[in-house]
Amino acid sequence: MRAVQNPRRVVVTGIGAVTPVGVGRQEFWQGLLDGRCGTGPVCSFDTSPYAADQGAEIQNFEGARFVRRLDLETLGRTSQLAIAAVRLALEDAGVDPLGLDPDRCGVAMGTTSGEPREMERFDDRFMDDQLDRVGPRFMSRYPCHVIAGHVAREFDFAGPNLMLPAACAAGNYAVSGAFDLLRSGRADLMVAGGADCFSRITYAGFARLGAIAPERCQPFDRNRKGMIPGEGAAALILEPLERALERNATVFAEVLGYGLSCDAHHMTAAHPRGDGAARAMERALRESGFTPEQVSYVSAHGTGTPTNDRLEGYAVARVFGEAARRIPMSSVKSMLGHTMGAASAIEAAVCCLTVHDGHVPPTIHFEEADPDCDFDCVPNQAREVPVELAMNNAYAFGGANASVLFGQCRP
Amino acid sequence: MNPPRNVVITGLGLISPLGDSVAKLGEALCAGRIGLSPVAENDRQPGVDGRGWPPVGAVVDFDAARYLGDGNLRPLDRAGRLVASAAGLALDDAGMDLDLRRQLEVGLVLGTMFGSVHTISAFDRRAVTAGPNYAKPMDFANTVINAPAGQTAIWHGLVGVNSTVSAGTASGLLAIVYAAELIRQGRSKALLAGGGDELCAESRVGFQQAGLLAGGGVDEEGHATAARAVPFDQRRNGFALAEGAALLMLEEEEAAHRRGARILGRIRGGANRFDPSGGTDPDRGRSVVAGALREALAEADWALDAVDACSASANGSVVGDRTEARALGEVFGDSLPTMALKSMIGEALGGSGGLQVAGLMAAMDCGVLPGIHGLEEAEAGLSATVVSARSRRLKVDRGLVTAVGIDGHVGALAVEKAA
Repeated sequence: MRAVQNPRRVVVTGIGAVTPVGVGRQEFWQGLLDGRCGTGPVCSFDTSPYAADQGAEIQNFEGARFVRRLDLETLGRTSQLAIAAVRLALEDAGVDPLGLDPDRCGVAMGTTSGEPREMERFDDRFMDDQLDRVGPRFMSRYPCHVIAGHVAREFDFAGPNLMLPAACAAGNYAVSGAFDLLRSGRADLMVAGGADCFSRITYAGFARLGAIAPERCQPFDRNRKGMIPGEGAAALILEPLERALERNATVFAEVLGYGLSCDAHHMTAAHPRGDGAARAMERALRESGFTPEQVSYVSAHGTGTPTNDRLEGYAVARVFGEAARRIPMSSVKSMLGHTMGAASAIEAAVCCLTVHDGHVPPTIHFEEADPDCDFDCVPNQAREVPVELAMNNAYAFGGANASVLFGQCRP
Repeated sequence: MNPPRNVVITGLGLISPLGDSVAKLGEALCAGRIGLSPVAENDRQPGVDGRGWPPVGAVVDFDAARYLGDGNLRPLDRAGRLVASAAGLALDDAGMDLDLRRQLEVGLVLGTMFGSVHTISAFDRRAVTAGPNYAKPMDFANTVINAPAGQTAIWHGLVGVNSTVSAGTASGLLAIVYAAELIRQGRSKALLAGGGDELCAESRVGFQQAGLLAGGGVDEEGHATAARAVPFDQRRNGFALAEGAALLMLEEEEAAHRRGARILGRIRGGANRFDPSGGTDPDRGRSVVAGALREALAEADWALDAVDACSASANGSVVGDRTEARALGEVFGDSLPTMALKSMIGEALGGSGGLQVAGLMAAMDCGVLPGIHGLEEAEAGLSATVVSARSRRLKVDRGLVTAVGIDGHVGALAVEKAA
């Protein structure tokens, strides 16, 4: 095989986000630092049959503002959210996609459910005995690979195309996949992100598990009552350092390494001691040559369910030891809800911005400390902290865990 | 950073309409046996006229307990069972016992188009008709697209990387390309890689409504056209839907030697590309597929005449097969003997990539390249050297495996027989 002796360094030069607290890097980041809450009563469907009514939806999203080359009418909502995030990220990076070599540009996207609203439409026909009226739309819109495909078609990218449906850790899987493709020289620019849309299928599932909080999402609080389903998309522009320097791009952060693992324990419940989560963090640190003490900020998975947050506490205690108590570790899900496949992509953007900006976002709705979550969750107020190295943690159904490290880009 | 590692194949497991081992698959392919059968009357869905539908490649009488023992299979749906069964066969074939799996932190990169679109639909319909309080939590766990990968990891104790790659009919091959790269870069020592999908009413209706299945059209006189799911044939009119799962055990070569593993073959190169026309512009598609073939060849450091055969992804699709044929022609002229096993097993979606590799390795083992079942008149530009209805004797040591998805995903893989 072709030798790649010196893997290239990879940096983040653009950030795009479409979230319940803001659209675009600046509005999104300001919303988080202000502790703005993006959750509220669900608008997109009637929640009366469910034992819950809170959600984190993106109000007044206009796909037409972002989709230019493809016909908007042929795209599901998740694809539209994804294209919006990528367009914002490319603009943020100052990159004109049509000025690039298409063969050297690729896409890595994550999702949990893909385009669940297309499934719902199919099921409505099914329940009405009208499957012969499904038409060609289902196959051109529903299968999740079309999301990464639609992004590549909108921006004319002919390089590697990875759709990684790794559930709620998918954004981190996408960033790590893109990182490797750039390091080994298989592409010169990758967009990496995640997207999911609000859906009755996801909502019914979490409601049935009793996992949805009645009023608000309170990660790490002793009286936390659950997560809140949400929707959104985020994308990062990743490119080799030398290319970013050549074009005088703003470098938000360098991607320094990652660790992936699997609990191999249970589909929906994490390992009781957080074993897989700890192994992902340890691997990320080991492969990139850092010690736990060098980490200055952790973006927690922090869903706000009693179990997740407790196990996460165990896992960081195992990896960080005493340092766990002084390293700020917040959960933006307190503000955004759980945006599913978009979540860890959004949180990757958060990590890059903490490195770039020297502020860390808060965990809002925090009232009473939980002894099982014995760390500094940045309660309620953003804080100014110089961030040298940020770790992004994400855990998923199926037991998939992913930790990614972002840091200051030093010579 | 150490130099890139070599990637070897040390095991193969498959569940297919033509048997559950490379030997059985190879024997059936060479004998020209087909694994397609008519859709059962009682398996049609209300509201859909199933007349004239093409046959399907079902794994008939599939019994997961035969492969997975008497543990509790209830949490696994059909997609999960197909994949977990193929994984068990691949692990056994590679001699990878539980201790070794833990020690090597064996992971899984699974290609799947849907996970289980049947489970997702059934969960949703029950939540709507009976109310969300009556939806089944066990089904919800399987509504995530990575459910088959998660279930398989739980069943077999796979604690390494657990990744799912979705790229339609290219899913399985692109999963193998991705996994090989993880090993090459030293990220993993041992990964199961390949894919799987189940046959179900939801996907069958979806493909039929999209006009992608063979037959079902109407001729000039208003009669339903007969199904002709024949790869590279002039009169092909779509594919036959199938199911199956196939996984390779991939390992870093030195680690494999150290544990005394039997080496079946090597992954020499791979490529992942995308056609930004989304499969609508055959010229753009041809150049993207040709680019993928050249990338895999360059990585393998193979000259054109070093390649003995191609295991093609052609499935009878009108546009996709033409794109693939033209790309093979652009790169190899009319010199590369090509097999297309989907003529006999149909389009197994996520399962296809691994099955194509298995088919190629069977041809390497028995020295026979299977013919393309039903081929009468080949697509323009494809000579008899390239495609043939009849099986032929051929020494195959090096082969390419291709993936040309329905809407733009493209992959290529260079596979070499063990010395």
